Amino acid sequence: MAKVRGAIVVDTEKCKGCSVCIPTCPTDVIKLAKDVNRKGYHFLYMENPDDCIACTNCAIVCPDGVISVYRVKV
Amino acid sequence: MADIKLMKGNEALAEAAIRAGCDAYFGYPITPQSEVIEYLMMERPEDRTGMIVLQAESEIAAIHMVYGAAGAGKKAMTSSSSPGISLKEEGISYLAGSELPAVIVNVVRGGPGLGTIQPSQADYFQSTKGGGHGDYRLYVLAPASVQEMVDFVDIAFEVAFKYRNPVMILADGIIGQMMEKVVFPEQKPRLTDEEIEEKYGDWVTNGKRNNKERNIITSLDLDPYKQEAHNHKLQEKYRLMQEDELMYEMIDCEDADYILVAYGSSARISQKAMQLAREKGYKVGIFRLITLFPFPSKELNELAGKVKGFLAVEMSAGQMIEDLKLAIEGKAKAEHYGRYGGVVHSPEEVLEALENQIIKG
Repeated sequence: MAKVRGAIVVDTEKCKGCSVCIPTCPTDVIKLAKDVNRKGYHFLYMENPDDCIACTNCAIVCPDGVISVYRVKV
Repeated sequence: MADIKLMKGNEALAEAAIRAGCDAYFGYPITPQSEVIEYLMMERPEDRTGMIVLQAESEIAAIHMVYGAAGAGKKAMTSSSSPGISLKEEGISYLAGSELPAVIVNVVRGGPGLGTIQPSQADYFQSTKGGGHGDYRLYVLAPASVQEMVDFVDIAFEVAFKYRNPVMILADGIIGQMMEKVVFPEQKPRLTDEEIEEKYGDWVTNGKRNNKERNIITSLDLDPYKQEAHNHKLQEKYRLMQEDELMYEMIDCEDADYILVAYGSSARISQKAMQLAREKGYKVGIFRLITLFPFPSKELNELAGKVKGFLAVEMSAGQMIEDLKLAIEGKAKAEHYGRYGGVVHSPEEVLEALENQIIKG
């Protein structure tokens, strides 16, 4: 069976750093960045991009819909 | 037909202002409240109802624009977050002194100083005890959901005009940023000058007609006896608000031994804490403050005779607890619990505090 790898794209200006997504990630990929967006919020980024399995949990729970998930078979 | 939408608290408040027939909004962006002015700028209410939206050059300018609009009898609104509200306090005191109706929204963030941009409830003293100079009070509403952000805008304008007094909607970073389902009321038309005079009296400065006394709006009177009489009038107004405009909610207080007293998002967190406590067998109820001024002192005092203890849950180092303690006159134990400076307490932490400080303490 082909292995699935994923990647997320975060709309960093809309992310409010609420951290709802972080505990839903089964492989601990995502974290809040040290940098902040224009409003001052620490936004989401992929800390361990290699571990993403494209499960879309983070995108489903995001209250502001700022996460897009991309999936590739390798 | 009523509209149902999924919206952020700040955006919902902005939409509610348009629908309440608000005439003017003057603001200055500050996180976590910027979505109010962003939404109003995007929505272009000048095309929908003729409502004016302007980004002022500063918070101080914004509140004085509100003063001007309110003097003309217009429904004027401004919003900001904690440091911005501190800047507006001068204007708010002038509004109260000149008896002008206005709605001020504070989406509270952690302080003091520039503090942080995360939610807090540490502006309780500032909102309920005056904030600016002089013996004045604001009518303070504390929404606990995005729906209440919508509902309270109309109530705020009604109370503001009924008493000719500024009204504050004291939300916090959670309510402002949270997305929830909201039901919007129908669009209310903006009032014309004639309708304003008919509905709210002829104090409005919208032009002197030949047969009319000149209306003057000022907070200055160099005669101290006149100023004292003016202060008596203001105090009488606050007394009437206490009698007629008090709002609170009691959740499962009938059989309760312990009461969580909270407002805004702390009341939401307390609801989960209450559920956890009841699962453990503790009879816990919630007394949710909806108006912070007027404060339900009499109601809490009556309740104090029937229960074993109160826990004031607020995201501050202990502000509302002072009013609570004055209200219950030592009839029951009262303690404070809360995280602050931008940190939000969890229901489990509230339950633990209730056990340690009230039930076992």
